[in-house]
Amino acid sequence: MAASVKSICVRCMSHMLTKKLPPVQSVLFLVSRRASQLSRQRYDVIVVGGGHAGTEAAAAAARIGAETLLVTQKIQTIGALSCNPSLGGIGKGHLVREVDALDGLCGRAGDWAGIHFSVLNRSKGPAVWGPRAQLDRQRYREFIQAELLSTPRLKVLEGSVEELLVSDPNPAEPGRHRVAGIRLANGSQLISASSVVLTTGTFLSGSLFVGQTLSPGGRMGDAPSSSGLTQTLRDRLGLRVGRLRTGTPPRLLKDSVDLSLAKLHPPDRQPTPFSFMNTHTRCKPAEQLPCYLTYTTPGVERVVRESLHLNCHIQQDAKGPRYCPSIESRVLRFPGRSHQVWLEPEGLTSDLLYPQGLSMTMPPDVQLRLIREIPPLHRAEIHTPGYGVQYDYVCPTQLSPALQVKNTQGLFLAGQINGTTGYEEAAAQGLWAGVNAARRALSQPPAALSRTESYIGVLVDDLVSRGVTEPYRMFTSRAEFRTSLRPDNADLRLTMKGFELGCVSAVRHHEAVRVRCSLQNAIAALQALTMSSTSWKKKLPGISMSENKNQALSGMDLLQYKDVSFEMLASVFPESLASYMEFSQRLKIEAVYKPHCDQNKSEIKRIQSEENMSLPQDIDYFTLSVSLSQEVREILDRFRPTTLGAATRLEGMTPAAIANLFKYVVLTRRQESMMSGKQADNEEERGEEPCKRNASLPQ
Amino acid sequence: NEAAVSKGLCRVLAGLADADTIFALSSGHGRCGVAVVRISGSAAATALRCMVGLGNQLPPPRTALLRSITDPHSKEVLDRGLVLWFPAPHSFTGEDSVEFHIHGGPAVITAVLQALGSVPGMRPADAGEFTRRAFHAGKLDLTEVEGLGDLIHAETEAQRRQALRQMSGELGRLYQDWSHRLKRTLAHVEAFIDFSEDELIEEGVLDQVDISVCDLQAEIEQHLKDERRGERLRSGVHVVIAGATNAGKSSLLNTLCQRPAAIVSPIAGTTRDVVESALDIGGFPVLLSDTAGLRDSPDLVEQEGVRRARERYREGANQNNFLTIQLISVQFKSTQPERNSMLVKQDSRCLLVLNKTDLLPEAHREELNLELRRVSGLPPVCLISCQTNEGLKDFLTVCGDPLSGAPTLTQARHRAHLQQCVAALAQYRQYRDSDLALAAEGVRLALTSLGRITGRVGAEEILDIIFKDFCIGK
Repeated sequence: MAASVKSICVRCMSHMLTKKLPPVQSVLFLVSRRASQLSRQRYDVIVVGGGHAGTEAAAAAARIGAETLLVTQKIQTIGALSCNPSLGGIGKGHLVREVDALDGLCGRAGDWAGIHFSVLNRSKGPAVWGPRAQLDRQRYREFIQAELLSTPRLKVLEGSVEELLVSDPNPAEPGRHRVAGIRLANGSQLISASSVVLTTGTFLSGSLFVGQTLSPGGRMGDAPSSSGLTQTLRDRLGLRVGRLRTGTPPRLLKDSVDLSLAKLHPPDRQPTPFSFMNTHTRCKPAEQLPCYLTYTTPGVERVVRESLHLNCHIQQDAKGPRYCPSIESRVLRFPGRSHQVWLEPEGLTSDLLYPQGLSMTMPPDVQLRLIREIPPLHRAEIHTPGYGVQYDYVCPTQLSPALQVKNTQGLFLAGQINGTTGYEEAAAQGLWAGVNAARRALSQPPAALSRTESYIGVLVDDLVSRGVTEPYRMFTSRAEFRTSLRPDNADLRLTMKGFELGCVSAVRHHEAVRVRCSLQNAIAALQALTMSSTSWKKKLPGISMSENKNQALSGMDLLQYKDVSFEMLASVFPESLASYMEFSQRLKIEAVYKPHCDQNKSEIKRIQSEENMSLPQDIDYFTLSVSLSQEVREILDRFRPTTLGAATRLEGMTPAAIANLFKYVVLTRRQESMMSGKQADNEEERGEEPCKRNASLPQ
Repeated sequence: NEAAVSKGLCRVLAGLADADTIFALSSGHGRCGVAVVRISGSAAATALRCMVGLGNQLPPPRTALLRSITDPHSKEVLDRGLVLWFPAPHSFTGEDSVEFHIHGGPAVITAVLQALGSVPGMRPADAGEFTRRAFHAGKLDLTEVEGLGDLIHAETEAQRRQALRQMSGELGRLYQDWSHRLKRTLAHVEAFIDFSEDELIEEGVLDQVDISVCDLQAEIEQHLKDERRGERLRSGVHVVIAGATNAGKSSLLNTLCQRPAAIVSPIAGTTRDVVESALDIGGFPVLLSDTAGLRDSPDLVEQEGVRRARERYREGANQNNFLTIQLISVQFKSTQPERNSMLVKQDSRCLLVLNKTDLLPEAHREELNLELRRVSGLPPVCLISCQTNEGLKDFLTVCGDPLSGAPTLTQARHRAHLQQCVAALAQYRQYRDSDLALAAEGVRLALTSLGRITGRVGAEEILDIIFKDFCIGK
């Protein structure tokens, strides 16, 4: 990628990294700290919460063209990384690339704040490469705040939301309620809006656990959010909520850690930026900081077992994730083993270390005992103890694929409130909710993103059609079409679409179009280079080609060979290929994956056509006069799939039930078109098509 | 809006032409005079050309032609029947379609389906898939859509019952075992992809995967080779009538043949050689063998007859297309050796027939029925009288049942899926060292193919295995 990156740089348009970031203090005056200073009392979109979901939502809504207000408890904590100081990874890196392809913030913020870049899974195939970076917390916050505060149409307000304003629904749309705005705490001021996006993270009825003490709150050091919001959601709107938990490790003083006893883990020599718009990262290759790897000892397990009676969080049964578990649940679930602990930098100038894998909730004195059982930490000092959080989430099957609450017009939810975990998952939902909230406010139809075209689509579809039983995290194994949904082609998959939706800038769109055209031309040029395998062997004597007769092979075919690179072909045919050198890596990937992606196409088309058939949201499945078993009716009622495609993927659905739903959709559609008097003639004609009868009977 | 949706749908559906080509028996299961096998999709023309010997020509559209239908690989003639060609869009599904109207015997149908399964790009249709494609192409009117659910239900129900029968048997255990191992294998590849960079997932995991993939591929390939034995069905199922002397074996043969093929007498040991007769039962060609009753006899000729009978049983014990009818005279029901032999034969390829019910008083018959119901683990049982033909109709039904439900009818379907499974596993090995994502895709495809036999496997199930087997910490 590094090679391709250089030449983009030359003709580069605006890009964030060369642009000087406005000092945060100087833009803070743009921010209204008190509601009375707001220029207006009505917005298109209000976003509640300033985390990864909230910032992406607010920025996306404003990009679409909606007058947007972001309400957060503390402007200072906008863009704070509450847990790990890192972004991306396997599956998560895919999400970051997609958010970036839709002009979101987190990719560019990562490039600005990253201090240790590495592409995970480098040896395993480009479809599962995981771009990842350790971040400088300070720089990440800086970037996000500066970006938000300079976004046109976006206002930021410091405050706490007391309740949602709910009114009667618009009868022309489905839903029992309509959100009308928010009421702020202190001063009980009302601000109205067409759409409200809630991204309250762990603050919804959040409780913090350390040892045996419990206090209300969603993050250590921040005030708990008002209970009014939970009440509105649960009592007024009748939403089903569940409880989840998570935790964070203690932060350690760097100087007290003996890093010579841990294994050094260097970054990639050449950092790979997250963003399609960046050719390099802010951090220079040589300025990057390393991570360190160490392991738990039997002493760790002993301390966990001895202190179980002092550890409330681990005794509770609220569901924790299987994949980001506390050190307590790790040693209890897999006893007698040593577990990995990563020691990660918190920033270029920070004197703290983040021990990834040591999330714990025991009393602080026991935490100290525990970490000192790990060799490099034998004299370590804790700066801030680890703690656990339990919080409410809204069962996401109550949402539409636009992330709008089905029974409440204009209310959108994103992030941990939907039962997910992770910055990237939050950012992806935030962007998507923001896009749809703005489109609704501007009277545009909701946008759809299929699981066949993006990880964001997989994420949203999994959430709204299957729900969650534990915090949801993205893995590449969740994507059926993994070979097509690669980090390298997120721009081709999403940027043009995003531009049509209005959330992508002209600059980015222009660049994506240029890339697409170049790739298409390069592929055409490669395909035009067709000759016999014998002739190829003469041109490229070094490569080991299977002795396959005198078969005609194109440049694309040849590029599929493991030891053939685009550079090699370009050196043989400079006149037709040299101008595409900046895309050499992407072309190699395209060539290798093309046959497999082509194979997926028919399945993708089938799924997409089923996703185009929507099921009305107000169906009473129990009384619907369609032949369905009671069991199937219950499943449909519980999950309320929005499309036939989503219904097909529900567990317990039968082919017969799907066929009957098909029938139902067709019937309703025809009735609708009869009522409107349109198309009826067309339909008749089709029914009389002569060839069909004698063709054969339905199977 | 409606217009936009249907326009979008049409655009999508236009692209469906390059979907898989599917085939299926469209005329319903069971015995029938003529069976219709339908093919739909872009490879339909290829299938037609290579099975009907048309060279590069295609027959005129929608015109019936009488042709020999041959196996595309062995060139063996499978049947002679009518062939119809429906080029897109003028077909039921709107895609290129072909119909074969062939003879209705299950053996012929199986042979044609198996041959189709061996054509590249072809796979057996899923339940209701033709109708679904027709629907997508806007070719279905409302009444047809109306019946769709019931049709698919009936079809899947029949498939389910058939699958159940097989799945409870040895074959089912085999498939389940493969599926289980493949799921685990996939879980380990996926774990290696999603977690190996940060977690403690040993490099050894992948070596284990290599071994499993290799083993599975070899086993399934071996199975596909062995299964060719099933194809002998076309030349007939062997049914051997076994039992003690004078149980009425020869009478049963004659009753079934509706002619005196074997000499019948009240004297025990009348039949001394294997008497064979070709029949058609339940649509299947059957070779019926009457054997000498098993007993120690001083008579040298009869000894030889008993030896031949035993040899015939042994031959059959290892073959799929072999059915034993264990015939017992109700008169001897209480004698110990008979009880034993009837309990030994608990094979699914065995029928227990109690003869001479005409000699039993009504009350005893009730008693016998009760007792049969009490004994568990018996093969299918029928009570008949060769003298009065009582119970013969039931006998034919029972007799036809294990045959029509035999692995052979669904065999073509399984075979095609297993072949795809093997090909997909080869993809894993092809990409193992160059691109693990593409290699894993091979294992995913293999599991999808096998899942078409044993049931679909979702991503959640794989994640469950991952989290059970590995401690994922980050």
